[in-house]
Amino acid sequence: MSRFLNFDTLSLHAGQVVDPEFGARAAPIYQTTSYVFPDTDTASSIFNLERGGHAYTRITNPTVGVLEQRIASLEGGSAAVCTSSGMAATYCAITAILGQGDHIVASTQMYGGNISLMKNTLPRFGITTTFFDPTDPDACRAAMQDNTKLIYGELIGNPGLDILDLEEIAKIGADHHVPFMVDATFNTPYLCRCFDYGANITVHSVTKWMGGHGVAIGGAVVDGGNFDWGATDKYPTITEPYAPFSGINLWEEFGPSAFATRIRAEAMRDIGPSMSPMNAFLLLQGIETLSLRMDKHMANTLELLDYLSNHEQVSWVNHPSLPSHSSFDLAQRYLPKGAGSIVSFGVKGGRNAGKAFIEACELASHLANVGDAKTLIIHPATTTHSRIDAEALAAAGITEDMVRLSVGLEDVADIKADFDTGFRAAKRVAAR
Amino acid sequence: MGFRTRQIHAGVTPDAETGSILTPIYQSTTYVQPSVDEYLSKGFTYSRSGNPTVKALELKLTDLEGGVDCACFGTGMSAVLATMLAFLEAGKHAIVSDVAYGGTYRLSTKILSRFGIDYTFADTSNADDVASSVRDNTAMILTETPANPTMKCSDIAAISEIAKKAGAVHAVDNTFLTPYYQRPFELGADISIHSTTKYMDGHNATVGGAVISNSQEHADAVRFIQNSTGTIMSPQVAWLTLQGCKTLSVRMDAQSASAMAIAEFLEAHPKVRQVAYPGLESFAQHELSKRQASGFGAMLWFEVEGGVAAGKKLMDNIELWTLAENLGSVESLITHPVTMTHADVEPEERARVGIIDGLVRASVGLEDTEDLIQALADALEAV
Amino acid sequence: MYFDVKGTQVFATTGGKPFDPAQPVVVFLHGAGGDHTVWNLQSRFFAFRGYSVLAPDLPGHTNSEGAPLVSIEAMADWLNGVFEALDCRDVSLVAHSMGCLVALELGSRCPDRLRSLSLIASGLATPVNDALLSAARDKPEAAIAMMTSWGYGAAGHYSRGPVPGNAMIAGGQMVMRGNSPEALHADLTACNDYANGKQAAPQVKAPVQVIVAGKDRMAPKKATDELAAHLPNASVAVIADSGHMVPQEAPNRCRQLLRDFIFQNNPAGQT
Repeated sequence: MSRFLNFDTLSLHAGQVVDPEFGARAAPIYQTTSYVFPDTDTASSIFNLERGGHAYTRITNPTVGVLEQRIASLEGGSAAVCTSSGMAATYCAITAILGQGDHIVASTQMYGGNISLMKNTLPRFGITTTFFDPTDPDACRAAMQDNTKLIYGELIGNPGLDILDLEEIAKIGADHHVPFMVDATFNTPYLCRCFDYGANITVHSVTKWMGGHGVAIGGAVVDGGNFDWGATDKYPTITEPYAPFSGINLWEEFGPSAFATRIRAEAMRDIGPSMSPMNAFLLLQGIETLSLRMDKHMANTLELLDYLSNHEQVSWVNHPSLPSHSSFDLAQRYLPKGAGSIVSFGVKGGRNAGKAFIEACELASHLANVGDAKTLIIHPATTTHSRIDAEALAAAGITEDMVRLSVGLEDVADIKADFDTGFRAAKRVAAR
Repeated sequence: MGFRTRQIHAGVTPDAETGSILTPIYQSTTYVQPSVDEYLSKGFTYSRSGNPTVKALELKLTDLEGGVDCACFGTGMSAVLATMLAFLEAGKHAIVSDVAYGGTYRLSTKILSRFGIDYTFADTSNADDVASSVRDNTAMILTETPANPTMKCSDIAAISEIAKKAGAVHAVDNTFLTPYYQRPFELGADISIHSTTKYMDGHNATVGGAVISNSQEHADAVRFIQNSTGTIMSPQVAWLTLQGCKTLSVRMDAQSASAMAIAEFLEAHPKVRQVAYPGLESFAQHELSKRQASGFGAMLWFEVEGGVAAGKKLMDNIELWTLAENLGSVESLITHPVTMTHADVEPEERARVGIIDGLVRASVGLEDTEDLIQALADALEAV
Repeated sequence: MYFDVKGTQVFATTGGKPFDPAQPVVVFLHGAGGDHTVWNLQSRFFAFRGYSVLAPDLPGHTNSEGAPLVSIEAMADWLNGVFEALDCRDVSLVAHSMGCLVALELGSRCPDRLRSLSLIASGLATPVNDALLSAARDKPEAAIAMMTSWGYGAAGHYSRGPVPGNAMIAGGQMVMRGNSPEALHADLTACNDYANGKQAAPQVKAPVQVIVAGKDRMAPKKATDELAAHLPNASVAVIADSGHMVPQEAPNRCRQLLRDFIFQNNPAGQT
């Protein structure tokens, strides 16, 4: 009886009205700062949030708008706001609802930028965080305080690749009237639509798989529209009058998109971490092939898991699609199309062998990004975490022999051949 | 309306849908047609044949030159090629300025001559030389004034008169002075050609070209070539060029004033043998320059005492000025035509037209005049 | 704003300005399964142009208490109660879908305070098929999917609304989920049972604006034509490419039509 457009169709068409003036098939790049108003009444009604429309590109832009509506649509959310980077998305999403004296409960297994934001930056403004082990939802429940206003985690954790039990955590949030925000960068809406499992907000670094080509930095906050902000008085930024817009009550007037509207009205207006129209255009090109790329990322990942698991120079392989992984069952439940294309593994021979492996690889690029179309590798012990001693490394879940791999879209036979070269070099070093 | 107003507003209307004050970058290959019957009703079908962003630039340049239509191209050379293809064919003859840009010379002698087009390279600074070169089958006269790099000027009105009599098209490469200083159509020319790479863009950001026509018939011929050969300008380039055009007159005035001061400085410098700048009274065609243009531009050349070796030494030692091809940008550039832009022109031909070995070409940018002069003074010291 | 109607708490948004009964009032009434937020791109506009705005939630919907009403007649009584509770005098009633049936019923009964009616995407009746009715009772998620899948046109399905960043279908579904579990079934039952449209419409004396969505699969042209034909004082405006959810799918066009009609028929001191 009911029929909605499917994912691939939405990834090509959602959010875009074919240009009414000339019929241009591709979304025009509105590389403009500002917009001429047809009359003062239209101008005032845009400024007063009486209608949609564009006034200034820091706040909205037609090209960025296409990307925002496409992402919201793919994610199944009520609204999205794009930002200049993934970190800006996280920052805007948190500060839209939290302030001095508020508290976050967050997973320990997160991107270093997220950890640093919560550990170092937000405390300076009176927002504190208690971290919980994502494999233990009870730890999350135990960490909840009276002033907890947010639960935050990455669906596919970093670096252990543990899967967050979305439904369990969402239940904790619901029990406490606290929204559950998920960093969905590693899964994208193609692998998992977190709102289907009770998450309330997702944030993305669209720089990664969403864009897919490593050409533009960007972020997105998606409002799931499924959190009842009015059920508690904990979220005055959403439910109390907002002075700059004639005392608007966002919850009353915007309901399911009140949270996204707050980010637009406050963060975009007062802070301004806006995405550029050109980046939005480039990212739109990437999203057009999101499902094709993700399928190939997953297929290559499975092949490489098999290759690595059977390689004599490999001491261990970590990925949630492996039955040996503690999150295997959760991965099957939340990520049936694949549990992401990040893999970590140990090179026999320790720190120097790991380093030798990286240096001998030619096809795989040695860099600190993830989610590119190209295969990327890094040896955390000698790079991102080189200034940390062995004990601290272990606490961060990083071993000296660990290589982190972001599986790309190359022919998997060529990736294997490249790794063969790397392992031969590692073997020579290990033998010394 | 005045030039400064038109360089900002001509061709650009706020986007109908969103009010976007700037023309959007229509980075789209194709256009959705409302229906079969309304095919082309919105003006665009495929971006080789036309693109709304490129169209905005074409309208602006048409307005600035005072022509009928403009077609934009991927490069200045594509613009020259399109002009030649539009008005020449096997068995036809063209007269081309003997001091035209080296690329124009190469295009004529190495490429189009293979398709049966005859060329005469005439000294267009002498109208009589042009008149005596006219043949029965002469279909086009191409001048470039001032010419690159000799700065030789051609009398646009006199040569337009000759072209009219011969039934030939007079195309003027107006890149050096732009319509802000020189409007060939007011002097009787038929076509104005630009490398928009130069002053139109002005920021070293794009390569592009334009052909502006002064009659619908000529415009149609150029448009036909634009669509048939597909040597088009990209929407991104058009958009950047649209932004550059807005400050064209301001940059031209500032850069030309600097050029005048630099020319005077060089002329007085003991280590400089000669300077060519149309604004100097010593310039052979100073009167013609004053008559047919309202400014002298920001290009000049000079010869250092000591020939090629001294010229090279100067360029190797100079600070601030960049040793790079291109001209017309806000960055000041300096080049050695014999080894760079005009290396393809045979030595005898170079000598004949006045591209002497020690010639140093200067494109004066938008930096402070005193800094540019100081840099030249320091480099001349080292020579 | 919260207020009591016959002892039960009612919520209505006032569009960002305090409610003042001395001003002409624009009342916005939502359709089946909806709430006040469907009007956010219309209500605020009028509130800032000299009107008092009231976009209530029907009983059992979002913020209003009480059991959902199960007949259009009962909803009309309730709406009349709202007018009385707030002493609304010069009222322009704007209604969408099911709300239009309530407006017809009320318009035929108490014409004295109504200055104009704007009926968006409705006929004289709204028959509901059995599959949807039973789903609304037994499988609310399936009913919500049917309603939103059929209700929204291309602008909804492709997230092509004019509010940057907004994807309206998910929001619409959230509103339905947020209502009390019986609300959707009550609304659809009321729609299906209502048979007095033909009798009520000719009694409506106030000027009526019928806004028709060209791509409406719930109130097709045949039904809206019939509605207009039974109204003694009606004008018809068509929004060609909108689906049923006009206030969200074509908010700018919708607001423009409402503005022209209400400014003319129920002028405010300040525009």
